[in-house]
Amino acid sequence: MKRKLWFVLALLVITATVLSACGGNSAGNIKPPAPAATSNTANNNTANNNTANNNTANNNNAGSSSAGNSSANGPIVLNGAGATFPLPVYTEWIQMYKSVAPNVTINYQGIGSGGGQKAIFDGTVDFAGSDSLLSEEQYKKMPDLQMLPMLAGAVVPIFNIPNVDSLVLDGPTLAAIYLGKITKWNDPAIAKLNPNVSLPDEAITVAHRSDGSGTTEIFTSYLGAVSQEWKDKVGIGKAVEWPVDNMGQGVGGKGNPGVAQAVQSTPYSIGYVELAYAKSNHIPAAKLVNAAGNVVEANAETMQDAMAAFADAFDERLTAKIVNAPGKKSWPIMGYTYLIIHMKDNKDCAKTKALLNFIKWAITSPEAAKKAAELGYAALPQAVQQKVLAKLQQVECNGQKVMP
Amino acid sequence: MRKASTPPQTDGGWRAALTRRLEHGDLIWRFALSLAAIATVALIIWIAWSIWVDSAPSRQAFGLKFISPWAKQSWNPVLDKFNAWPAIYGSLVTAFLALLIAVPFSLAIAIFLSELAPPRLRGVLNYMVEMLAAVPSVVYGLWGIYVFLPLVVVPLGNLLAATLGKVPALAIFFRGPIPASGLSRLGAALILVIMITPTITAVSRDVLLAIPRSQREASLALGATQWETVWKVLIPYGLSGILGAVILGLGRAIGETMAVTMVIGNTTGGGYSILRPGYTMASIIANEFAEAVSDMHASALIEIGVVLFAITLLLNAFARWLVWRVNRRTVGR
Repeated sequence: MKRKLWFVLALLVITATVLSACGGNSAGNIKPPAPAATSNTANNNTANNNTANNNTANNNNAGSSSAGNSSANGPIVLNGAGATFPLPVYTEWIQMYKSVAPNVTINYQGIGSGGGQKAIFDGTVDFAGSDSLLSEEQYKKMPDLQMLPMLAGAVVPIFNIPNVDSLVLDGPTLAAIYLGKITKWNDPAIAKLNPNVSLPDEAITVAHRSDGSGTTEIFTSYLGAVSQEWKDKVGIGKAVEWPVDNMGQGVGGKGNPGVAQAVQSTPYSIGYVELAYAKSNHIPAAKLVNAAGNVVEANAETMQDAMAAFADAFDERLTAKIVNAPGKKSWPIMGYTYLIIHMKDNKDCAKTKALLNFIKWAITSPEAAKKAAELGYAALPQAVQQKVLAKLQQVECNGQKVMP
Repeated sequence: MRKASTPPQTDGGWRAALTRRLEHGDLIWRFALSLAAIATVALIIWIAWSIWVDSAPSRQAFGLKFISPWAKQSWNPVLDKFNAWPAIYGSLVTAFLALLIAVPFSLAIAIFLSELAPPRLRGVLNYMVEMLAAVPSVVYGLWGIYVFLPLVVVPLGNLLAATLGKVPALAIFFRGPIPASGLSRLGAALILVIMITPTITAVSRDVLLAIPRSQREASLALGATQWETVWKVLIPYGLSGILGAVILGLGRAIGETMAVTMVIGNTTGGGYSILRPGYTMASIIANEFAEAVSDMHASALIEIGVVLFAITLLLNAFARWLVWRVNRRTVGR
């Protein structure tokens, strides 16, 4: 009997030790997912190589024991993670870049902007992708983080009204529909914009994203820019509380496909998706009246126009909102997507250099821009390219400038 | 090294005792098996503890209002105001509605399979039921969106809205119209019926088959019809096992994420009507967690995880209690 007791006790102790060893520092820390551990091991491997190099190179930077330079021609692995909005472009770019720099392998995981921000914060990736801006708090904790605009995307309203294949809306009307103030398609406000269309006397079903998303952030930014009531009542964000939901007229879909599916299967509905998605799936999109009062449709030209109109809108952090652009041909619902990199806290100079070269190639090379346009995104205009290149010049590794 | 704590023996000391105990492998076996068993318990505690800790900001900010049906129903990531009731209601109503339909249906199939089906048909049907249980839930979701919702749920929803929706007391639960796409709580519940039926059927069939032949023979010999035998002998005899099957189905229904997310419409509003779109606890977590940038938003989603965990535990405890009661009654008779 007594022996049994001892036995059970011993068992418990051992189990506890094993478990706590496994648990380690992960003590109940569930937060939005960080990318897989592969990036860690990759980092460690290169770090080990560096230490070896470091001894011979005799790098005398204090406090950076694992720092140094990997040999220039060895294979370099760059790990990134974050926003899914630009994922189709990044995937193509990474493929294309293999022929430009065969020794550089780039991995990008689309885990969401929030996950990307967390990953670069935790140091598990070399760069992050994000549609949403870092918060003041995050800048305070890690002041050397820098957001670099990479390309812009447009969001388009899509609709499903049987026998109607062209529709014009303006900002206040779109906001009123999403606020639940316009509930029927034959509302005078819509009718006024579409004099030649016979609009049905049917209730509008309003589709939106159910998952948090950069697309929603761009869309709500636009609604907030054109409607004070939207800004006050609902606000701007990756996920918001939709007034139409509380009226029972809303429906949420997961991802662009979810929204598109909800709209396509629901007669008399409206929704919003990325232009790239609408384009590749041939979903008809509504035209909009822009800030200059012209009716525009979303395409490469109107996107470029909006970006050019806001070329000087960048603050010192190199971020800009480009919704409701004032240009004559500007498509009004647009947003930049960014890469986040470290300006100073770089230890492996070969890696940093490879990353900067990739970014430079991505924003300046004509074939990269062409690929982005093909997929329904807009590459940076010249003026913005210059601003990003100027930032790249200032990136430091172990206190030294990296770019020539 | 901890094994050294085995108390010393009088004959030959602890070393010999240890050797003797390890010699035939019994101790090692016992250790390995106990470790596996304890690991299960430890895992549950570990999970519960971590989600409890991580939900602290949300618990402190909202308290009981978080799960209250009477608090202002708001799920607002912009203002960081969260109330989970719509998702809790969505989970409960879809799961119980699914159970209400699936249990009689599954029992009928199980009884047919164990008592009535000719042997050849039985083999085929058994295989089919197991196949249904093995279909991945995302496939059910896809099929639901493109086939099941428009062809079955929408007409059924319209019918319910036109009939039960007009009854004053029930109108709150059956208020139409159902969206033309069929995305609704009813759609989710019916998809769940299809998903949990194979589970409940397979387990209850095994329960019925395990009942000794003598029970059936005795009943028939007393002059009972086959129906009476099934209803008055077999079902009561296997009741605790069948209850277990039902609970298994309920567990799957309440935790199902993917298929439900695809057909429920994902809105936090929508009132109480089963014909309107809604949300479930599992689907709101799946939808929003990846991009929950604000800490409070993430914490609120984790707290929904806590609630889901607690509800599952409570249901399981309730099921245990039911089974225990049933067993006691059966023995007592």
